[in-house]
Amino acid sequence: MTWTIGVDVGGTFTDFHARNDVSGKELVFKRPSTPHDPGEAILKGLEELEKAHNLPLTEIARIAHGTTVATNALIQRKGALIAAVATKGFRDLLEIGRQVRPHMYDLNLDKPDPLASEAMRFEVAERLNWQGEVVTPLTDAEASRVAKQVVESGAEAVAICFLFAYLNPQHEQKLRDAILSLKPEMRVSIASDVQPEFREYERFQTTAINAYLQPRLASYVEHLASGLNHRVGSATLGINQSSGGLMSATKTAAFPVRTALSGPAAGAVGAAYVARNADRPFVITLDMGGTSADVALIANADTEITFQRDVAGFPIRLAMVDIDTVGAGGGSIAWFERDGLLKVGPISAGAAPGPACYGQGGTEPTVTDANLVLGRLSATGLLDGALPLNTESAVSALKPIADRIGISVEEASLGILAIAVSNMSRSVRRMSVERGHDPRNFTLMAFGGAGPLHARDVAAELGMSEVLVPPAPGIVCAQGLLVSDQKEDFVASVRLPLSQTAMAEAAKMIGNLAELAHSWFESERLPDEGRSMELSLDLRYVGQNFELIVPAASGANLTAQDLPDAETLANLFFDAHDRAYGFHDASAPIEIINFRMTARGRLYEQTQKNERKENSGPPEPESTRTVWFDSNAGIETPVYRREKLYPGLQFEGPAVVDQLDATTPIFPGDRVEVLADGSILIRLQGA
Amino acid sequence: MPTLDSIGLEILSNALKSINDECFVALMKASYSTNIKERHDHSTAIMSANGDLIAQADMSLPIHVASMSGLMRCVLEKYGGDIHAGDIFVANDPHTAGGTHLPDVNFAAPVFIHDELIGFVCNIAHHADIGGMAAGSMSGGMTEIYQEGLRIPVTRIAQRDEIKQEILDIFLLNARAPQERRGDYYAQIAAAKLGVRRLHELGSRHGAETLKEGFQQLLKRSADRMALALKEVPDGVYEFEDFMDDDGVKTIDVLLKVRIEAKAGKLSFDFTGTAPQTAGNINMTLNATQSAVIFAIKSLLDPEAPNTQAVIDCVDIQIPKGTVASAVFPASVAGRAHTCQRVIDVVMGALAPALPTLVPAAPNGANTMAVFSGIDPRSGDPYVYLETIGGGAGGRPTKPGKDGVQTGITNTSNLPVEAIENEYPLMVLEYGLAPNSGGKGKHSGGRGIRRIVKPIGHQCIFNGVGERFRNPPWGLAGGEDGGRGRFAMINDKGEEAPLPGKTGDRIIEQGGSVLMDSPGAGGWGK
Repeated sequence: MTWTIGVDVGGTFTDFHARNDVSGKELVFKRPSTPHDPGEAILKGLEELEKAHNLPLTEIARIAHGTTVATNALIQRKGALIAAVATKGFRDLLEIGRQVRPHMYDLNLDKPDPLASEAMRFEVAERLNWQGEVVTPLTDAEASRVAKQVVESGAEAVAICFLFAYLNPQHEQKLRDAILSLKPEMRVSIASDVQPEFREYERFQTTAINAYLQPRLASYVEHLASGLNHRVGSATLGINQSSGGLMSATKTAAFPVRTALSGPAAGAVGAAYVARNADRPFVITLDMGGTSADVALIANADTEITFQRDVAGFPIRLAMVDIDTVGAGGGSIAWFERDGLLKVGPISAGAAPGPACYGQGGTEPTVTDANLVLGRLSATGLLDGALPLNTESAVSALKPIADRIGISVEEASLGILAIAVSNMSRSVRRMSVERGHDPRNFTLMAFGGAGPLHARDVAAELGMSEVLVPPAPGIVCAQGLLVSDQKEDFVASVRLPLSQTAMAEAAKMIGNLAELAHSWFESERLPDEGRSMELSLDLRYVGQNFELIVPAASGANLTAQDLPDAETLANLFFDAHDRAYGFHDASAPIEIINFRMTARGRLYEQTQKNERKENSGPPEPESTRTVWFDSNAGIETPVYRREKLYPGLQFEGPAVVDQLDATTPIFPGDRVEVLADGSILIRLQGA
Repeated sequence: MPTLDSIGLEILSNALKSINDECFVALMKASYSTNIKERHDHSTAIMSANGDLIAQADMSLPIHVASMSGLMRCVLEKYGGDIHAGDIFVANDPHTAGGTHLPDVNFAAPVFIHDELIGFVCNIAHHADIGGMAAGSMSGGMTEIYQEGLRIPVTRIAQRDEIKQEILDIFLLNARAPQERRGDYYAQIAAAKLGVRRLHELGSRHGAETLKEGFQQLLKRSADRMALALKEVPDGVYEFEDFMDDDGVKTIDVLLKVRIEAKAGKLSFDFTGTAPQTAGNINMTLNATQSAVIFAIKSLLDPEAPNTQAVIDCVDIQIPKGTVASAVFPASVAGRAHTCQRVIDVVMGALAPALPTLVPAAPNGANTMAVFSGIDPRSGDPYVYLETIGGGAGGRPTKPGKDGVQTGITNTSNLPVEAIENEYPLMVLEYGLAPNSGGKGKHSGGRGIRRIVKPIGHQCIFNGVGERFRNPPWGLAGGEDGGRGRFAMINDKGEEAPLPGKTGDRIIEQGGSVLMDSPGAGGWGK
């Protein structure tokens, strides 16, 4: 029982990162995904891993899994038939939402249809007031009447959300019980369980998505868990949440909405881990794959959390790693807009047919084709030649673009890369400049299959001086899973003035949250020494309609006594307001909207950095190839294998570093240093 | 900057968008009022040295773009030749300074590279109050511009980087909640300065000539693109007319009329015959009308086209002075948004026979507004709660219209029910889709929104402004008209008493409630 395995399932590949907790030995493994049943690739991959690396399945203690099953079900609208039950008078909340349309001018672009159609939306005579007090009681007769309607509707799952039930869940629970007594196997999500938080539409929508995903996700994790049980025995399974922490299979079956951004969150957690190892606590990540690039900001070696974002056009209100996604990937297609300007993405050639150079029938010119023509990618291709690239196909796809503008194919290729880079730079600016951070104080960390190819240009565009490429850029997500904590987020939504007199009430809330955290620690059987808790408050000025999250306390075991006094909290709020908005008003009254408690159980012990022997001299290039760094001419450039670059080594570009799943061009004049953990640090010329 | 070809221009245009977006966010963050922070009732743009709109932030509002462009013309007219680095100009007046209503305050700052003027950065924000006879400066019933608030002509508010505090003091003395206004003004000034710095950096990197040439190329591309779009309208003459319910003072059935002539890819719009400007404040100035026309054209023919001067100027508009759609001094204009919606409706209606596969039936065509005010019995403090309510979207040739959504010139969000009841002594009894308000048809029109609100523990004042309470949203291609909007008082016995579409202040007794139905939308096809 010595191995821990991180498994990240992507659209094309399923990545494994295995670590022996005794010897510290690490293994990396990649195999094609099985989209019809993503679990199949996991089970088969484990068997392949056993054969290829002599890793007995019975020695696996723990598997951490990042999944896109929820995201895909939501995007493709392949969830369950759900019923949605609301307070009388509010049946249409899911339809109206915030009454805004997604595009100012496009008359045909609509917000997505609600997950529960009109015939599947029900009302219940019940009402609570703004303090959670019962105004209209929910009678037994009414509960049974509606329960019967819901069951007879043929719904596979039910979402229940009543006004102000985040303050008082009695009515929601009563209706749930009435439904379950009629049909015990029905999957029922109630908002006061899913996310007991102020603002009815976002809470209802989050609950409806939970119900919509529940039958599918529950059967997926149950199937996977039993498959693992069959093959691996007693290994525990953790599923990654959008907030970047693991939860059990049982929790996943109950709260599948928490996995909506499971995959990208793993990338950000993995990046934070690499950042710590490389002694670069302030990094901006550029995780670029086939269709899109994810950008996240890491400060003090920790990911930033947001509490709301849209997934597939629906708002989800839950803790999630703050990530900006831009439609720029290796497969992004170059095309001419109606005004003749060249655009790159968001349309992508995807994995099938893929870029023209894959030779699988793709004819559209893509970013990957441009990289190949410029020699930045090797024609040998990725995965050590398992996927060779066809330069002729790339040239013929790119030629129409070059001809229309009247430039060479190489110049057109450089142009395509420059446009993709300008799109990604905008995303980095959104995550940094627009949130009060100066990107020049950060290192750009590039990963994903395509990140290292473009990071240098993005850094130069933004005046950043360093680019960091992790040892295994294609496997950072799987690595993130391996090092993730078990995690649970609790929230209590109670509006209180921020004043010393209200602190007694606040202390009571925190006592309740701490109790929830403790019972969670117990139920998850997490060892004492790895437990920790973080308390934060959502605060705002009275009259404002948005809150700022203010971290208030953290420690191994928080109690109500750990709540800072009102004055300290106010000062923390002022700092946050300054950072976010550039000013604060010391005299205006402040109020508390939410109390948040995060409980973590550490599952992974960080070990010493890899001790590799210092390399004695400069590396011998494997070969040379012609690389275009600018439009003047291609230059003969030494090509190095990543495995042969040892810690301590320094050299200067031009160069290209090839490895199994990524390629890193080193521009003329840039300086490279291989760090102790095996990461490559590139210092830009003149920086 | 590489050559200004399809690639270089795309990268330049991306850089300009980035500057506009950064200024947009900076203004939102530094401002004080909810209106800007949350409803995003503000916009940012970059103009060329001769005042042509080159690029705007993604989230900019159509009517703001017209206003910023209007300000630029007036700045150049008044100060052309006397514009220097470090200047900042401000204005809001619809009659003398290119504005569309007084609460929208415009700022513009020039950018120089080596003493050469290369362009301007502009921003505009809707201030929650600009003075005048009613709190919020937007109430119905105002009959001349002086009642609507402080009129600011084109004014140099900063010279050589120094803000003229005494001018700002005049602004602040003339608005309610001056502390909040001060914050908003400083936010606008800060956003203008940020824009100047960013555009200067871009210009310094690539040279003034490249930037100026890039602006011209972008305009030319944009003009060609719009010309291509306009070619989709077959030659012919297309006419349509429709009515506003009333002006909120006395005039009823205010006529809006358009005759569109399409000839060889050129479109001209003649609004002759449109009703004279009214006493009530539903009037719009010409550039507001222009932005409504452009909204309709872009929505139908090329929704993704970036807004530029070439888009604004792509059509020819003829209209005699002094109509409700070309109001002149001293017309009151605060409620111009309703009329904007109706201009969009008549343009769409006229083009329906020309573009039968594109034009939807009439949407709710209003900017339905409800204001509740009173004294909160829980605290003893006065409160004002304002909501704009979406409605139906018109049935389309390809699919039904959406229910309960903002259409046309506006796209602001609602306030959550739980936020309303937390903050105000009110209870929302119903919030849903107004029954039977979607016009029937092959593709039905969207339904309007119903809200029923009652005061708790006190009596309150209700003031509502609605449209399409008498003249319903029309159906198209055989589709039926959509449901009209309505306001009603409901007493403690549950009896309804109808209220007019522009109510003025009404007392709602304890135990009573107000019903608000926004209009639905017309259906499309039989």
